[in-house]
Amino acid sequence: MKLKDYLSPFYVWKRAFDKPFTTRKPLEDRPGAPRYRGFHQNDMEKCIGCGSCEVICQNAAIDLVPVDGIETTRKDSGLRPKIDYGRCCWCALCVDICTTGSLKMSNEYIWIDSDPEVFRFVPGASEKPWKNTEAGYSQHENYTLLNLDRIDMPMLTPEDSRKSFIETVKGYSKEEAMKEAQRCVECGLCVATCPAHMDIPDYIRAIRDDNLDEALRLLYDTNPMPATCGRICTHLCEDVCSIGVKGEPLAIRWLKRYIVDQIDDTRFKAILRDEFKPNGKKVAIIGAGPGGLSAAYYLVTAGYSVTIYEASDLAGGMIRYGVPEYRMPYDQLDQDINYIKELGVEIILNNRIGKDTLFSDLYNNYDALFFSTGLNDPYKMAIDGESLPGVFSGLQILDDVTKGIKPDIGKSVAVIGGGNVAMDAARTALRLGAESTLIYRRREEDMPADTEEIHEAHAEKVKFITQAIPLRIEKTANGKLKFIWNNAEMVAKEGAARPSPIAIEGDIQSLEVDAVISAIGQGADYSFLPPEYESKIKFKRGKVIINENCQTTVPKIFAGGDIANPTADAISAIADGHNAAKGIDKFLNKK
Amino acid sequence: MSDRSKFPPVIDGKAQFDLDSGKYIKVWQGPQHPGVTGNMALELIISGDEVIDLTTHVGYLHRGFEKLMERRRYIQCFPIVCRICVPEPDTNEYLLAAAAEELAGIEIPEKAKWLRTLTLELSRLASFLMWIGGQSGAFGMGTVAQWAIAQRDFILDLFEELSGGRVYHMYIVPGGVRDDLPSGWDKHLEDVLVKTEKMLKEIEIVMFNNVIFKMRAQNLGIITPDMVDKFGIVGPNARAAGLARDLRKDEPYLIYDKLDFQVITRDFSDAYNRTYLRWQEMWQSIGLIRQIMAGMPAGNDYHYNLPNVLNWKIPHGETYVKAESTRGEYGFYMVSDGSGYPRRVYVRGPSYTHAMALLPHLAVNVNIADMAGLMVSLHTYPPEIER
Amino acid sequence: MQEILNKLIDRYAIEPIQENRHNQAFVTIEKNRLPDVLTWLRDYEDYTHLAFITAVDYPEIEKIQLTYMLHNYILHTDLGLRVLLDRTRPEMVSIHHLWKQVATYQRELREMFGIDFPGSPGLQENFALEGWKDIPPMRRDFDTKEYSEKTYFPRPGRQTHDPKEYMKEKLYPSAKEDK
Ligand SMILES: Cc1cc2nc3c(=O)[nH]c(=O)nc-3n(C[C@H](O)[C@H](O)[C@H](O)COP(=O)(O)OP(=O)(O)OC[C@H]3O[C@@H](n4cnc5c(N)ncnc54)[C@H](O)[C@@H]3O)c2cc1C
Ligand code: SF4
Ligand code: SF4
Repeated sequence: MKLKDYLSPFYVWKRAFDKPFTTRKPLEDRPGAPRYRGFHQNDMEKCIGCGSCEVICQNAAIDLVPVDGIETTRKDSGLRPKIDYGRCCWCALCVDICTTGSLKMSNEYIWIDSDPEVFRFVPGASEKPWKNTEAGYSQHENYTLLNLDRIDMPMLTPEDSRKSFIETVKGYSKEEAMKEAQRCVECGLCVATCPAHMDIPDYIRAIRDDNLDEALRLLYDTNPMPATCGRICTHLCEDVCSIGVKGEPLAIRWLKRYIVDQIDDTRFKAILRDEFKPNGKKVAIIGAGPGGLSAAYYLVTAGYSVTIYEASDLAGGMIRYGVPEYRMPYDQLDQDINYIKELGVEIILNNRIGKDTLFSDLYNNYDALFFSTGLNDPYKMAIDGESLPGVFSGLQILDDVTKGIKPDIGKSVAVIGGGNVAMDAARTALRLGAESTLIYRRREEDMPADTEEIHEAHAEKVKFITQAIPLRIEKTANGKLKFIWNNAEMVAKEGAARPSPIAIEGDIQSLEVDAVISAIGQGADYSFLPPEYESKIKFKRGKVIINENCQTTVPKIFAGGDIANPTADAISAIADGHNAAKGIDKFLNKK
Repeated sequence: MSDRSKFPPVIDGKAQFDLDSGKYIKVWQGPQHPGVTGNMALELIISGDEVIDLTTHVGYLHRGFEKLMERRRYIQCFPIVCRICVPEPDTNEYLLAAAAEELAGIEIPEKAKWLRTLTLELSRLASFLMWIGGQSGAFGMGTVAQWAIAQRDFILDLFEELSGGRVYHMYIVPGGVRDDLPSGWDKHLEDVLVKTEKMLKEIEIVMFNNVIFKMRAQNLGIITPDMVDKFGIVGPNARAAGLARDLRKDEPYLIYDKLDFQVITRDFSDAYNRTYLRWQEMWQSIGLIRQIMAGMPAGNDYHYNLPNVLNWKIPHGETYVKAESTRGEYGFYMVSDGSGYPRRVYVRGPSYTHAMALLPHLAVNVNIADMAGLMVSLHTYPPEIER
Repeated sequence: MQEILNKLIDRYAIEPIQENRHNQAFVTIEKNRLPDVLTWLRDYEDYTHLAFITAVDYPEIEKIQLTYMLHNYILHTDLGLRVLLDRTRPEMVSIHHLWKQVATYQRELREMFGIDFPGSPGLQENFALEGWKDIPPMRRDFDTKEYSEKTYFPRPGRQTHDPKEYMKEKLYPSAKEDK
């Protein structure tokens, strides 16, 4: 040992007078770092109660609970996370996964109380000193545990799609569907919004598990027309998808289609295992649209003998005669219908009630009646020149095309309207070789048509003229039609939800076309109802009034679909059909 | 040498004695004992003031991490694993992520690799500081322990700023890391590094040139090179015996192949040299941290967007991934059965063999007062033994 | 890596082989051959380092897999040797004579997985558990959640709600009784 070895330990004395590291009493306030993972905060307005935080918490520290003042709406379960700090490990996975970004953690870490109960609380609901603290751990770009971008759907290019009636949307491959299905957080918020309350998260999970047989069974639990809805459903569910808050909602509709696309229809019977014992009771259905077909499926599987009366020469209703083939190929619709027929539902075609068969005969010969006759009476524009040759309704054009008749629309058309029928008519006209111009009273954002439809119409080069109030149609010297309108400005009126178009004086425009197609809406035709029934059934604004079992004011008569519901789309008709079937079952079993 | 006839003979590393003879005492050191890092118990048989037999007992800290992971989704394992090693949690975070990423076939962004390496080195530094506190404390030099532990706290401040957590950082997440460096952090880091360097120099003076430390630590717990593979000895314990084995060099992971450093070895593995080697490795870590900061890529791409973690399934497979922790080869063996939950995660901590097999061997004929110093000189952390 | 795998195939007709990456492979070995293979690898092929021994439970095929992880410090390659044991009475030849740390591993495996290693020193001693009466806890069929619920008691007062069910109750209760 050297001398140094004896002396150097005394070096520690050098630090004797240094400022100590430890903090003195009273404790100095030491705020946590700006990213500190301290007590939680939750923006009550932003949170939608999806429960993803609860699912990811590996300590089971979170419960979802109702909170005073938070209403359950279609986009919000009304529940909020309550955190048990006896379990929380401050990992912040709940913050990372939060679908809305409402949940964060403050940088506060000191909280002393002698009552253990207070350490379970709903962040954001009760006043806490850190409720509005800015600092703390929160979500940020470049790092997310969710998949916010939708898997692109393969589609025909607009250049190709506008040339033919081949289906525009190609459908997901297995890999694409599995990836898309993976994005789902299974919150189930969408189920309430789906008119049929389909088991959406469950069938998406079945896709992920690659258990398509199970997926198909789940679809048929609530919807016997999945091939149809997988293509043309208005997919209201996607509007409330929690992934849609920060990113693009799940492609729920395309996933449904994927299930049906993958399964050979010859296997349906074996997979669905629909078994039933005939119960000897008979139900008649008027109209083989989605409403009628859906009711038929659920009635026949409950043991009823079902007969559908249909005026047209094929079943399917507006799905066949309205929706164009490039969106809804007929063989796919047939697949849905055939399975229902296979179960023993009788469809009598070319039989118009009120003409070929009397309503009262049905009423007397069957145990119950359901009608879902749809809206097939196009509204008139009520302008001069509307009855000129070359002026058509959208429904008629679409109906013709379905039947293989080429309507005489020439090389250019003006389509009046902004709904889905107008889009279908305009894009069908393109495919018939005409240039289409869409003319609408309000702005594009006011159009009732689906955004996707509008987008695709643009892509296929449909011209859009908006804020145009139709005035009249004239015949020109060269045999064409001149559509004349008045340009309008949008004026917000007091108390009105949206601004209305008001004509700008003198600003008159016109367009010369070979044909004018009017697609401004359609109403119901109840002429099949004899007066003694029509007087007993209650209507409101042209729609039949029904209860939650789709029962009209005449107990034995049930109704649904476009003639009854406000949404007037396929899935609502299907939901009505299902409810009616349940209602009929209840009604007949009570007796 | 003094007369050893009163001590039982040692054959094949084992003292031959009869406990019932009444000549020996059984003493428990731990599980609650300041000289034992973490909760671990040493069952000692004493002859006079010399240890003649030692059995290591664990089980006081068993939280069943490996089992818990079997019923958690991969992402839910992430907050658990850091708890397997309090002083150096980041190695666990990294290895869990690395194993899952390898099995899932995920390549993480370059910047994430740099940030991961940064935290690994920083946590090595923090872990060494905590350990040197224990090492000096075990030999009665409490002052050094105070300095080192306080210095570690400054590193925890850095971690807090970076990750939001002081002890359990939960920063390395499967797919990358959770966030970029906060602004101004580089300055804080440099401050801490400078302070640490100053302290390391002071430690050199008061510890390595200290007659008491020298006398007690030199020739204590000698590991000869031929023991290394027999006992599965790794890390500084092996390097001090002259074996240049360092996973950062031998099987470079993350960005270690882009960094300039030499494997540090010494030629005699006793408590003194092991301490000195670790002290040198602290300097090495400081140097590496500076290199990493200088080479840190720009941009903010530090996380690969995993498949929605609530539904994330990893294909069938098994792998063993490892990293150089302060104690040596640390590894995760992960088996996936194709589901969303790991089939098996086995955590290999170097302390397993160091505490369970090596320590009983080295303890024979060690003075009881030096037991704590011997144990700490192997740098053992009990939770990685019983996981 | 390929070289050692070829040798293994030649000498011991070992298959299947799973090559993970350029420096890591797993092979499955017949139970009784293992000590022989390990000794050969250790003494002649520089696989001198035993990183760990552990087990994986596969109740669905009635097997428990043992994994022995070896490392070659010269080539820097890992070789995982797998042995499949019958799950009902898992028993394996002890290799405690090959590395000093093995006896501890075998003790742990006996306790956690219920695998017997006849002849292994101190095998019956506790590793981490004391007075354990249940089935070996690392077996897949040991349910930690169930165990903790029966052994401990949760603090009362917690209740959660499923968003889907709750919305049904609030928004369309009429559909409740169906399906
Ligand atoms: C062009 C167009 C596009 C559309 N696009 C979509 C879309 O993309 N997505 C969507 O969800 N919905 C769409 N719809 C709406 C959808 O088609 C309807 O909501 C749905 O078809 C309504 O079903 P339903 O059963 O009520 O009536 P319908 O489908 O209209 O079926 C009624 C059936 O009853 C028959 N019928 C009527 N009177 C009698 C009688 N007296 N005797 C016998 N049979 C009779 C009719 O021939 C018809 O077959 C579209 C509609 C149109 C017109
Ligand atoms: S921070 Fe982690 S442990 Fe705490 S509530 Fe959130 S997810 Fe659960
Ligand atoms: S994840 Fe976010 S939005 Fe969903 S319930 Fe939790 S805090 Fe609310």
